Amino acid sequence: DDFLDRPPEDSYNVAEFYETTEQVNAATNALYVRPWYNFVTNVSWCIGELSSGNGRTWDPRNADFVNFAITGEHGTLTQAWESLYAVVAQANAVINTLPDAAGPSVPQDVVDNAVGEARFIRASAYFYLVRIFGPIPIIADNNEYVLEPVVPRNPESDVYEFIKRDLQFAVDNCYEKIRGANYDANAKVSSGSAKAMLAKVYLYEQNYPMAYQLASEVINSGEFKLYGGDAEDGDPSGSYYDLFLTANDNNPESIFALQWTNTGIYAEGNGVQSLFAPAGVTGFSDGWSAIGPSIDLQEAYEDTEQDLRYYATIMAPGAFYPDLNGGYTVSETIDHQGCNVGVKKYVIGSAASNGGGASQSYPNNTYVLRYGELLLIHAEAALNGGGSVAEGINSFNKIRRRAGLDEIANPTLEDVFKERRIELAFEMEFWYDVVRQGPDFALNFLSNTERGTFNDDTSPPTINSETFPASMDDLLFPYPSNEIQNNPALLEAPVPYEFE
Amino acid sequence: QTQVKGVVTDENGMALPGVNILEKGTSNGVYTDFDGNYVITVKDNATLVFSYLGFVTQETAVSGRVSINVTLVESLESLDEVVVIGYGSQLKEDLSGSVSTIDTEALNNLPQVSVDQLMQGRASGVSITQNSGQPGSAVSVRIRGVNTISGSAEPLYIIDGVPISGDSNNISTSGRSIADNDLGQGDGATGVSPLAALNPSDIESINILKDASATAIYGSRGANGVVIITTKSGKNKKGTLRYNTYLAIQRPTNFYEVMDLSQYARLQNEMAEIYGLNPQIEFLNPSLLGPGTNWQQEIFDDAVMQSHEVSFSGGSEDVNYFLSAGYLDQDGTVIGSGFDRINVRANVGANITDKIKVGANLTASRTNDKLTLNNATNGIIYLSLLNNPATAVYNPDGSFAGPDLDDDFKFENPIARALSLSNRLERNRFFGNIFAELKLGKNLTYRTEFGGDFGNNVSDRFQPTFSYGEITGGESALSVRRENNDFWILKNILTFQKKFNNKHDVTVMLGQEAQESKWQGVIASDGEFVSNDVPILGTGNAIDNTDQYKGSTALSSYFGRAIYSFDNKYNITASIRADGSSKFAEGNKWGYFPSVSASWRLSNESFMDDFDAIQNIKIYGGYGEVGNQAIPNFAYGARLNTVSTGLGTGFEFANFANEDLKWESSTQTNLGLDFSVFDSRLNATVEVYNKVSKDFLYQLAVTDFITGGNSPGAIAAPWVNLGEMVNKGIDVTLNYKTKGSQDFSWNSSLTFSHYKNEVKELLGDLTIFGEMTMNTSNQNVTITQVGQPIGLFYGYKVEGIFRTLDDINGAPVQFGRPFEDALFSTTWLGDIKFKDINGDGVVNTDDRTVIGNPHPDFTFGFQNSFNYKNFDLSIFMQGSYGNDVFNAVNRSLTAGNQTYTNQLPSVLDYWSVDNPNASNPRLARNDTPNINISDRYIEDGSYLRIQNVTLGYTLPSDATSTFGINRLRVYGMIQNLYTFTKYSGYDPEIGVYNQNALLMGVDNGRYPTPRIFTLGLNVEF
Repeated sequence: DDFLDRPPEDSYNVAEFYETTEQVNAATNALYVRPWYNFVTNVSWCIGELSSGNGRTWDPRNADFVNFAITGEHGTLTQAWESLYAVVAQANAVINTLPDAAGPSVPQDVVDNAVGEARFIRASAYFYLVRIFGPIPIIADNNEYVLEPVVPRNPESDVYEFIKRDLQFAVDNCYEKIRGANYDANAKVSSGSAKAMLAKVYLYEQNYPMAYQLASEVINSGEFKLYGGDAEDGDPSGSYYDLFLTANDNNPESIFALQWTNTGIYAEGNGVQSLFAPAGVTGFSDGWSAIGPSIDLQEAYEDTEQDLRYYATIMAPGAFYPDLNGGYTVSETIDHQGCNVGVKKYVIGSAASNGGGASQSYPNNTYVLRYGELLLIHAEAALNGGGSVAEGINSFNKIRRRAGLDEIANPTLEDVFKERRIELAFEMEFWYDVVRQGPDFALNFLSNTERGTFNDDTSPPTINSETFPASMDDLLFPYPSNEIQNNPALLEAPVPYEFE
Repeated sequence: QTQVKGVVTDENGMALPGVNILEKGTSNGVYTDFDGNYVITVKDNATLVFSYLGFVTQETAVSGRVSINVTLVESLESLDEVVVIGYGSQLKEDLSGSVSTIDTEALNNLPQVSVDQLMQGRASGVSITQNSGQPGSAVSVRIRGVNTISGSAEPLYIIDGVPISGDSNNISTSGRSIADNDLGQGDGATGVSPLAALNPSDIESINILKDASATAIYGSRGANGVVIITTKSGKNKKGTLRYNTYLAIQRPTNFYEVMDLSQYARLQNEMAEIYGLNPQIEFLNPSLLGPGTNWQQEIFDDAVMQSHEVSFSGGSEDVNYFLSAGYLDQDGTVIGSGFDRINVRANVGANITDKIKVGANLTASRTNDKLTLNNATNGIIYLSLLNNPATAVYNPDGSFAGPDLDDDFKFENPIARALSLSNRLERNRFFGNIFAELKLGKNLTYRTEFGGDFGNNVSDRFQPTFSYGEITGGESALSVRRENNDFWILKNILTFQKKFNNKHDVTVMLGQEAQESKWQGVIASDGEFVSNDVPILGTGNAIDNTDQYKGSTALSSYFGRAIYSFDNKYNITASIRADGSSKFAEGNKWGYFPSVSASWRLSNESFMDDFDAIQNIKIYGGYGEVGNQAIPNFAYGARLNTVSTGLGTGFEFANFANEDLKWESSTQTNLGLDFSVFDSRLNATVEVYNKVSKDFLYQLAVTDFITGGNSPGAIAAPWVNLGEMVNKGIDVTLNYKTKGSQDFSWNSSLTFSHYKNEVKELLGDLTIFGEMTMNTSNQNVTITQVGQPIGLFYGYKVEGIFRTLDDINGAPVQFGRPFEDALFSTTWLGDIKFKDINGDGVVNTDDRTVIGNPHPDFTFGFQNSFNYKNFDLSIFMQGSYGNDVFNAVNRSLTAGNQTYTNQLPSVLDYWSVDNPNASNPRLARNDTPNINISDRYIEDGSYLRIQNVTLGYTLPSDATSTFGINRLRVYGMIQNLYTFTKYSGYDPEIGVYNQNALLMGVDNGRYPTPRIFTLGLNVEF
């Protein structure tokens, strides 16, 4: 009866999609954007920078991350859980639908590549989830659990195994690429991206030989370039500072980056600068300077003049940024959250000067993994006995040289740790680096990190010191309370995952 | 032949115009004129029959007289003799289903803005609460308990044959509330009433079908009950012109007592000391400070309401008409809110031949809503309560003031917010029907009817740039919505009626119906305008965004009903309906809904002839099955949403599919007893029912790790059929009328309703939580689980405050926080001691339990009308007993965990070493568990409200008739005069949050219902 047949008129019906190669290629686009929004904009920096002690704040809600007062009731933390699992859900939908639904005219390699991309992105989401929450339920097909609230959590080792299988699939099925001057063509992840991510996962598992080998393969493949690097794998057209300009999105250093758009629609763009920027920079009412670079981080720079990364990461009083809104001079009294400086990284300025966007929704990419970090993974794996120490030191010093610093002939693991902190500061990564050093190191480090403010009533300013003691429980974040209610199995012992 | 003349009056001596006088046994007849006079020429031995609607027909033999004056007596069973049922009508005495009729007096003498408000408390088994006091806002109507756990439990309205959903969220069509609900985070309660277009003065009768044997004829849409509204038609031959007007002042009833400036300053000082913050210099000596800004006084104000309406009605033998026009303008008591309506109506009926009758009932209206955000933490009311009294409303230069604090906790100036953010909704609506009735034979009638409901909604929301102190809004933003809704329905009905041997009365009805609903809309936005003066799309600098939506649903139905009654004693009715719906996949489209009911008029049995003590005894009962299909279209399949990405257009999975989705069904058994005593002056109806609803259509989001929860890119949970729920209840109606022949008369009606709701089954061990945004975080407020009523309040139980070290010794650890004297992450003296419900030695999320029940033990309404000579007095009370309220406002106002936030004065009595017997916990920092959802915030929501007192005076007709005025009545009315309650918030009538069945009785800064003083005038020519 046609009268009673009412298909949707304002959206596609899944059953009638994926008929053409174009549709299949577009199937993964959304996985690089919207589901990540709440995590990246609202939580990732709270964990990566506030909890780690790279930043501080007075805002009582976000301060809960600074002083280890996060509970399962915390609305911001809940967004991490929801957002990352939204990534998983969307990725699973593509992974489980595409192989059967793709039309007969779509070549198999197109389908395999798309599924590979989706599995890469699913692995990336699980990698965050396991690092933030520890044991979690592994969901490979959401449809199986749609009516089943009680799902056991799986041990961390199984989550890692699941991640590795996904990444291996992506290594085997995604297209191989060479990152060239056509940046748009670099945007999606490749087989090499998966290899690089796999190297990082092995590093977390302390499987240094595998981490080293995979990192070496990525380096030797020539797929990626260090933007501004001076070695054979360098791209002299860029620099560390240039990495974070919207115009350079998907430069050859980018391994996996979230691909925000300029529509200005909420959650389609990047909201990070809304929180990082000083008031007035964005051209909108956002620019909340919600985080200040901690005194501890400021003191961690060897030399704020010589290290080019300081200027690209932190806004010092009086600094001048010629490209920012056509020329921007930092206020002499800039004082984010009592730190006497502000944040520069990911602050890209107004919509007019950056190709669009609107408040809380800007077009600049967010890096999840870039070649600079891969070189440090390579170095760390090597120094841990995973491979040639000389090669590792070579990789390490590529990063030092690009930063304008002197080489270190015989770097220690501690040097690598410090280098990672500065290289990746405000890329929402440091917390995981601290925690993976093990609880002895992490608790000592976190409890003694200076999270206080400058007292500007004296000259020179003195420090109102603040530290917060961390305990074992603080090294993983709690599951959202509502989820425990919905799924009490989260309180029970993890159950091994049944791999196919 | 003789000429007879005379005057016809009522018992008060008022002339009755338009009384039909017939010479018995002939077609010779006349009508009385304006002054009740008549002249008729009849045979000498004739008998005159005087009939007039609403009065007892009287016969008088002429017996040679030439002047006969007649006094007609008002009929005790006046208008409700014939009751409108679905697709027909039936004598009340024959009725075997449960139907409540709203008494017409309420309709005529007590003006109300909206029809749903008018029904409140007047029919047993029908619970009506206003979800918000905002003019034009939606109410929630619950017929016999809560029948569904999915979005809408609102009944179906049939207005002159046109079905109109009571669901303000439009779940089953566009899925969007008509109102632009993007006012702020958490959205708040923004539902506007779908019935606002209807002028209550146009209504002739309201019949509420309550049990399934009555509603089954509406099949798939009858599960929540059906309200049949019939508008007026012309009756008298003589034309009547009426003018009704009133002017009303609406006034807020009460205020919260929050801290004044000196108390606030004291609190800030003491917090600063505890938190180790620098003291605020201006607060150094709190006792010198004045009262500061009283934000509540600023946002609440007296508001004016006025109404004018004019109607013409009349008719002749073959044509009748009713024409009306009305205008209503209502300001809201919260600054910036308001509602107005213009409506016209034309109801016409005509006999084209003695075999063909045609007619139309048409109305057009325009309503305008000025909406403000309420029932949300950042709503106007909330802001006025939490805002700092140290901040002024205006700067000396007249601009809006704001805080000048170097702090992240700043509250917007609610006056500025209310006055500068404009959110207007204009609804244009045209609905009604046109029909033709053909007599195909002596007993067979064919009726065809076409109805339509065409709406156009225009919504404009503009946020200008602003700067209030430290709070600035750099960008202006405009959001514009244009939406069209088209609904049509076509019915074909055959009715056969015949009486055999004067004893067997048979009515058979067969019908077919097709209906379609279509909607389409465009939302567009722009921003960054050069100035705030001309916000027009395309002129702003921001990227223009557009979003288009469209869709349609269809329903195709066949139905039939047979009524057989024997000798006015026994009646049996059976009906069946088949509905085919576009909501379900092939194979599940059709649903079948049968019913059967019977009644026995015990009083008509011959053996009862000598029994006079109790009259009109009727026993009746019925069983029926109805359905519900109020879900979005294509919920059974999976859709893709289109999104923009840096890689080009992308596609997100919008929802989980469920091919097996089928009808929600509800079966109901109803037993009733009617009887009268005291010469039929006291009428009683007692009904009991058992209603079983099952296979609820429910969007089941079991866990956020499956769907992604509230995250962008989350996949909407699938619609499923699950569970079973039972509502058992009793409805009692008592009605008393004095004999109408004296100067004094009294008419009283008492309704009493009780239901017990129990969830019998959900999916497996599933518990369903009612979630809402409070203070920027999502909180589970209610729990629904098997064996309990739906939507019980859920949280921790409080044992008291840790006052001494002895209290702490051996106490269970609270939320993993060590007992330690620190501001963060610890439990210490002065903190709330929560109860270890499961006895495992620690207090954690497992210790949540049921802490309150929003369902009342019973609700009641008590209507009294007194008439003494020309005075009429009406007193109406209604209330609810035994229901709990979750007072989320109190939770914020006693949190004591944030600086720069106003609180109740009781917070100053916080625990400290010097104040160990304090009533409130210690001042803690933001993350304190002291504010966890607990029974601290549960209050008794019982109330008795004097809802309406009206005193009217009708001028004697001899005084007014010289001016050509037939009737002139002046009245004064006070609505919401007084409420007896223990509830500490504004108003215990909380309603249901955005009509969500899981969020009943949650007060999150609800717009309180004002007290209304009305002065009105009714004139009839």
